[in-house]
Amino acid sequence: MLSPAFDIRQRFGLDAAGLRSVLDAALASGGDFAEIFLEYREYRSAFMEEDILKDTSESFSLGLGLRVWAGETTGYGYTNDLSMDKILRTARAASAVASSGRTIPALDLRLQEGGADVYRVIRPPDQAPFETKIALVREAYEACREFSPLIKKVKAAIQDQVQFIAVANSEGLLAIDRRPLVKLTCVGIAEKDGKRESGYSGGGGRVGWEHFAGPTSPAAIGREAAREAVELLDARDAPAGEMPVVLAPGHAGVLIHEAVGHLLEADFVRKKTSVFWNKSGRKVGSPAVTIYDDPTIPASRGSYAIDDEGTIPQKTLLIEKGVVRGLLQDKLCAKLMNRSLTGHGRRQDYTDYPIPRMANTYIDRGEDDPADIIRSVRKGLYAERFTGGQVEDSGKFTFSVSSGYLIEEGRLTAPVKQATLIGSNVDILKKIEMVGSDLAFGLPTGTCSKEGQDVPVNDGCPTLKISLMTVGGK
Amino acid sequence: MRPDPFAPGDDLALAERLVRFGRSCGADEIEVGIGEGEEFSVDVRMGQIENLVEAGSRYAGIRVIKDKRTAFASSSDMSEEALERLIRNAVKRAGLSQPDPFAGLADLSPIRIDPDALDIFDPEVIELEAKTKIRLALETERIALADKRISNSHGAGFSSHAARTYLAASNGFAGTYAKTFCGLGVGLQAGETDDLVEDDWHSSRIHFRDLESPEQIARTAVERTVRQLNPRKLGTRRVPVIFEPQMTGSLLGFLFGCISGTAVYQRSTFLADRLGQKIGRDELTVIDDGLMPRRVGTGPFDSEGIPAQRTVVVDHGVLKRFLCNTYASRKLGLPVTGNADGGGVGPNNFFLEPGPHDPAAIIRSCDRALLLIRTLGHGLNAVTGDISRGAFGLWIENGEIVYPVSEITIAGNLGDVLQSVEMIGSDLDFRSSIAGPTIKVAEMLVAGS
Repeated sequence: MLSPAFDIRQRFGLDAAGLRSVLDAALASGGDFAEIFLEYREYRSAFMEEDILKDTSESFSLGLGLRVWAGETTGYGYTNDLSMDKILRTARAASAVASSGRTIPALDLRLQEGGADVYRVIRPPDQAPFETKIALVREAYEACREFSPLIKKVKAAIQDQVQFIAVANSEGLLAIDRRPLVKLTCVGIAEKDGKRESGYSGGGGRVGWEHFAGPTSPAAIGREAAREAVELLDARDAPAGEMPVVLAPGHAGVLIHEAVGHLLEADFVRKKTSVFWNKSGRKVGSPAVTIYDDPTIPASRGSYAIDDEGTIPQKTLLIEKGVVRGLLQDKLCAKLMNRSLTGHGRRQDYTDYPIPRMANTYIDRGEDDPADIIRSVRKGLYAERFTGGQVEDSGKFTFSVSSGYLIEEGRLTAPVKQATLIGSNVDILKKIEMVGSDLAFGLPTGTCSKEGQDVPVNDGCPTLKISLMTVGGK
Repeated sequence: MRPDPFAPGDDLALAERLVRFGRSCGADEIEVGIGEGEEFSVDVRMGQIENLVEAGSRYAGIRVIKDKRTAFASSSDMSEEALERLIRNAVKRAGLSQPDPFAGLADLSPIRIDPDALDIFDPEVIELEAKTKIRLALETERIALADKRISNSHGAGFSSHAARTYLAASNGFAGTYAKTFCGLGVGLQAGETDDLVEDDWHSSRIHFRDLESPEQIARTAVERTVRQLNPRKLGTRRVPVIFEPQMTGSLLGFLFGCISGTAVYQRSTFLADRLGQKIGRDELTVIDDGLMPRRVGTGPFDSEGIPAQRTVVVDHGVLKRFLCNTYASRKLGLPVTGNADGGGVGPNNFFLEPGPHDPAAIIRSCDRALLLIRTLGHGLNAVTGDISRGAFGLWIENGEIVYPVSEITIAGNLGDVLQSVEMIGSDLDFRSSIAGPTIKVAEMLVAGS
């Protein structure tokens, strides 16, 4: 095991004294705070379609982002040329926002110890030979293909990366992290009588290769993609209109992500553009609803040991029994709002400054038996799989159901496809009237976009009943 | 000769050197693209600068083929040591892929397009002073917030980008060009906390002088936002739907995904077997054109060095072409169209030809209809052509807009929509690389309460 200080010098050519002198340069013309974010990432992928392993890819990413605050203004610069001359030029560009002439000296750097213990890696993703990965892709591909003669096309891909980051700031923080991330995905396309449907499945997380065994084996992933595609061939269009909707455990967590998570990101609240800005401590939902965001769930795709500002993350209570309790904070919002850090400052890569983001967002388990929840609906929709969602600050959101079932007289009946659920968050939280005891997380392959920055996330929920929701079918 | 502050540097020589290095490592074919860019952006909100970003970067993308087996690599670590290591790895790794008779670089084209003739580089974008850019953003937001109906701002921003692309390949291709972009926009909210509406307006162009003024942008953003205040719900029904130009653009983006050669050979599009068939009304002509001067989607060659061209995709309702990179063209036995984009296929300027109708006349022609102004969500399925999205609109009765509607969804199928476009507007404006005018579709399902 190499020392962290050695790692930074080895990878970026900078030692503690070098980092300190860059921070001093960034604050030379004033400013309240300066931060260096160093990133080195290795990414590899392999892709199979049409029965052949079509190509492989390898990518190195190396760069540095420099941030300076002056009051509420952020100056940011980045470069992938790590010569001292270029780094100092980047520092000057970032410090263009500061002109107070007041100089706060940077403190000596001290390495921050520890962080959440979240990575679960026995066989590291970056150290396995490509042959190992290709065998996994092939296993998923073949299991999908062999599931049914109706499966006509299959695509399977594996992607793994290791991201090494170091954060140093003028408050004296020096923090480092080495984040593994793996994702295996499979798409199957089924055809019958000129009709075509596709199914999707995947697995992975902050894990090593040993993850792909048992119920999370590539074969299980391939079969699930095929099963969904084949079942959709016989699905009918979803009914349209207002009706009770039961959300299946796991995948429907994306609704919580869209309808609640985004609107409790501190920047939207600080700017009062979120519908929740004035609702702290106020009741917004039914007492059955408790929501957390937890970046410390071991092995989960949205987890991290430190955030992209070096903060050690915390499980954060957002809504407790229907009452707004917390926000997702980054450093800037926490400072401006005078609140404590939660460790939700994230960025896509060194070309971006951090903003408040979700990690693993979920609605906590309740007390209802999932079977009772379905039994309570006379006529409605059981939404099982989702392809994604979107929300705007006003709280209006949609999310897309790829597959589900009709509920008739308390029983799941015909499979249905392609429905869009639409609502507004203040409304939906009041209408969650039953919460199951069966909390689960969705496919660990999700990515969240905000302001053009993509970060890996995960979300979850137990079986949920929404008393009335607008369904757009065909 | 105009002065060129973004003149070609040494990276074409570097790319050619890496091509020779790859060949010496055993690659049969190799292609090296290098991009370098300079970026400036400023966000202002409530009259203050929020973020100011100034940066430059370089990266390289590499494709290696050995014994008809392909490997890709890319890097933002531009040290020659790292780049050579990547190429050596890629040549070795190609052996892990399986031979694919269709793999390989593009055939070298004799046609070369002069980048200067395309007018996609504006020196003024680079020469603009930071304080001018900040002033434009501040002014746009100030004008918008002066309107009392606006209650909050997402902020205004100005951004500019200058990029130079270099491409060298073992088929003998070597080329470079520079391109600029600039953009100005503002996002707004109106209404009370629990009944907010929001919208924005942006102008994005190659040339600084083609940008809309702060006044135009602010006024458009305000009008687009306040027209949604006090929305009603609609009962579920089938009605004619008028697509505003941006909504037509989004529909065309979906069409692009369905006619890309990659989707066709993967059979992940409902149009896979429809080449040469009538897929839409006679009035529908859809074109992809990489040669239009000063347009956002214009460039002299694609990511494989294929010269840009004009391709009629849908000609008077008949599906004439799929858009293909070299791989898709070989798989499908169809011509390449200059749409290679990284490993896949991308649009150049992809647009629906405008029709004869004034957009206001299209609205007046409807008894009862939905004017679709925004959508939310991802409900587009290329495999089936199905559309199902959250929507915001304006309700039309007796040829007039009567009130806004929200919390509705629209559903239909792209195939049906193309067959039922009844009127096409004259208002085509290239705001982005995919663009269309106002259109009226005979009927879609609108679901509400």
